[in-house]
Order: sequence, then C-alpha cells, then structure tokens
Amino acid sequence: MHCAYTDPIIHKADAWKMIKLENVSLTFDGRQLFDRLSVEVPAGGRLLIRGESGSGKTTLLRMLLGFVLPDQGKVFVNGEELRVNNIWRLRRKMAYVSQEMQIGNGRVESFIREIFRFRNNRGIKYQKDKVITLLDDFQLGTGTLDKDLEELSGGELQRVAIIVTLLLNRQVYLLDEVTSALDQPLKEMIVNYFTNLKDKTLIISSHDKIWHDQGFPTIHVGQNGSST
Amino acid sequence: MEAAPDISIMRLLAAFGLLIVPLALSFFLKLGFVRQLFISAGRMTGQLFLMGILLVYLFRWDNPWLNVAWVIVMMFFACFSAMVNSKLSFKHFFLPVFLAYFVGTGLILLFFNKVIVNYENIFTARLVVVVGGMLLGNSLNSTIIGISHYYEAIRKENKRYLYLLSLGANQQEALLPFFREALRAAMRPFIANMATMGIVSLPGMMTGQMLGGADPETAIKYQIAIVLAIFTALTISVALSIYFTSRQAFDEYGILKGSLFRR
Repeated sequence: MHCAYTDPIIHKADAWKMIKLENVSLTFDGRQLFDRLSVEVPAGGRLLIRGESGSGKTTLLRMLLGFVLPDQGKVFVNGEELRVNNIWRLRRKMAYVSQEMQIGNGRVESFIREIFRFRNNRGIKYQKDKVITLLDDFQLGTGTLDKDLEELSGGELQRVAIIVTLLLNRQVYLLDEVTSALDQPLKEMIVNYFTNLKDKTLIISSHDKIWHDQGFPTIHVGQNGSST
Repeated sequence: MEAAPDISIMRLLAAFGLLIVPLALSFFLKLGFVRQLFISAGRMTGQLFLMGILLVYLFRWDNPWLNVAWVIVMMFFACFSAMVNSKLSFKHFFLPVFLAYFVGTGLILLFFNKVIVNYENIFTARLVVVVGGMLLGNSLNSTIIGISHYYEAIRKENKRYLYLLSLGANQQEALLPFFREALRAAMRPFIANMATMGIVSLPGMMTGQMLGGADPETAIKYQIAIVLAIFTALTISVALSIYFTSRQAFDEYGILKGSLFRR
C-alpha cells in the first residue's frame, strides 16, 4: 500500500524541512504529559529533552514517529503534518534508538543483513567494510558480527542498534537515553560522533550532563506541563 | 479379534475412585485444586455422556449434512475454548480464529477422508465426526499457544516491533520475526511428541481401535495417518489464525490495538 512511492527530495540533503510540535496535548494513563506544547527544530537542528523518568520524554519521541498520537495539536515532520497517508514514508526518514533495546535473537550479522533486505531498504547496499569501520568507531570488535544478539550486553546492543541506523543514513536521529548505560569514554565518543553529523537533525532525550554541556536548545517535560 | 466388553456403571465408579489420590494430594498440600478438580471431572463426565448419546444418533441417522453441521458446532466450541484460555478479546478474534479452524481442519479432514481412507461415503459419521473431532481437539492447544505467544510477544517486545518499523520495515516485515517465533512455539511440542510416539506413549486413537477389536496393523496405519493429519491441520490453523487476526489487530499507524486483550 505504501511501498511504491518515489520521493524526489531523497537525493537533496538540504531539502529537509523542520520538525514541529504545535499546541500538543496528551494524557497518557490518566496523567497529563503535555499541555499545549509547541517546539520547532529546524533542518539540521538539535533539541535536548530533559525531565524525570516517566515525564514523557520517550512518548514525545514516539509521537514524532507516529507510534503515539496526540490528543490535541499537530505534529509536523519534514514540514508535513503527520497523517496516516504519510507516516509510513516519514518514518523512513528517521532513526530511533531507545534505552534497553529489544532486538530479538540470532546472529548480529544476520540481523543487520535482514534489515537491508526490507523492501524499503533495497536501494541501500550492505557494505561490510562500512559495518566494520563503524563497529571499530563504537569500540565493538569485528567479532561482534558473529555473536548472538542475546549474548550482547545492554550497552553493546544499543551500540549495534545505533550502527544499524547510521548505515541507513537517516535524516533525523531520535536518541532516547542512549548514553545512560555507558561509561564515560563511550558517552563522550557517542556524543562526539553525533554532534559531528552536521546536516542531520538530532533530537535527544537524556539525563546525562554530557549532552547538557553541548548547549543544545532544551525543553523540560513533566511536572507542571512543559516549557522551553 | 473381539470387541471390548462393556464397563458396568459400578465398575466405572471404581474409575472415579482413582480420583481419591489427586484429591488427597491437592487437599493436604493445599494445591488449591479441589473445587476445580470436581468441576472439571464432572464436566468431562457430563460432556462425554452427552456426546455418547449424540453419537448414537449421529451414527444411527448418518446424515452427511448433520455430520458436517456437527463438526462445525465442534469448531465453534474449539474456537470458544481457545479464546477462553487466551487473554484475547472475543470481539476481535472469534471470527478469524473460527475461519482458521474451518479452513485448516476442514481441508485436512477432506484430504484424510478422501485421499487416505477413501470410504465410499466420505461424509459418514465415523469419519467426519470422529476424525474431525480428533483434528480439532489436537490442534486446539497449539492454536492457543501460537496465537497467545504472538500477541503477548508483540506487546511485551513492543520496542523491538517499533524499532523494526523505524528501520524501514513495512508491517509484514516487522511482524515476521514474531510470526516465526509463534509458529515455532506452537509446532515444537507436537514435533517433540511425534518423536516419542509408540515408545513413550501409545496414542489414543490406536488404543481405542485395538480395544474395539481392530487389527493392530490397521490401527497403526490409522494412527500414523491421523498424527500426520493432526500436525498439518494444526500448522495450518495456527498460521491462518495469526494471519486472519493480524489484519485487524493493528491500527492504520501500525500500532497494536489495546482493546485486543481482555483485562
């Protein structure tokens, strides 16, 4: 249904438009998480979301992916208001990595290859040398490819998940507490890696001071509604 | 060979006497089963007696339409029972699971009766009702395992499903690993069971036929055929019930509907 589309802007990196929440309200499990929240992230911009656990940081990111729908207000991705007829296409512009990844089981390399066999990803070639470079960048040995996903620690799994999204070369990276389980050198490494992706949009939820120190525009969610 | 002698009611009561052992264990070790045991044993007895009466008439009349109608009633009960034993909502699941049984066991029943046994009348009661009952009864458990496993896994490993969607998977692609694992879970017990059949267990149908006076050689051939038929019927029923329910279990955004589960 949503497979045979051609998207002319996919080849023009600078054509990416903003991500925006407009007066978004959401009540989840009887708790009001957002009350008329508005925020805009321009193409290539950065946004840090802060707040206690359970304050709705994850929900906010999931809203951008159309996994959670707002009660009121509008969500725009690439300048388009999220709707049933564009969500499947827009999801493919974004990469989402969350804390405590659940990836499944099987060999790491088979998992990665399977991602590249998805109908929508067939245009992207699986390049093993690129995978190896990234594994090295993220301080995972090449041997990781032969391991079973279930053997990996939480932190390793998260880095594999990040590498997969980097291979897919998405426009927007939604990173949900990706550094919280890692030690300091790894935190620094990941923060550096992403801040160097100049033309990508980064939306980060984190408790970590290291993200805070980057001086990104920040919103606080939770407590008495949300503020920028 | 001679048909099995009847069991008098008094002697059947002796069989109920056996229940003293599990009842005593349940009572003294506080397993919390006493009430449930009485109810279950009572239901089993009542249902089988009713079935006995019904079978007498089904065999006497031996009307093809009636036989087929009765199999459909059994499918209805199988479906109902599968629903009760899972945590899934009747509203969303009843019809698709029923359809899955109808196609899965229906096709295999026809195959068994026509290709394997090839009686003159393939809609005769002893084939349609008895074999149909065996196919349904034995695929019931697997269907419950399969369908519950599938939806529970998607709910519990929701992050995995959403991650796959965010990686560009379309819905079928994101659901494939869950489908695979559910089928594995549903098929695995039967596969293991097949490997020990005849050594560890003497299967029910064969035992019954031999008690009823059939030649062991014939009984064994029937048994082999029915085991293979059951296995295929359950595989089709499980796969189809997941496939049919999956179509309406998600909203247009690809999110699993919360209303699928009974609270």
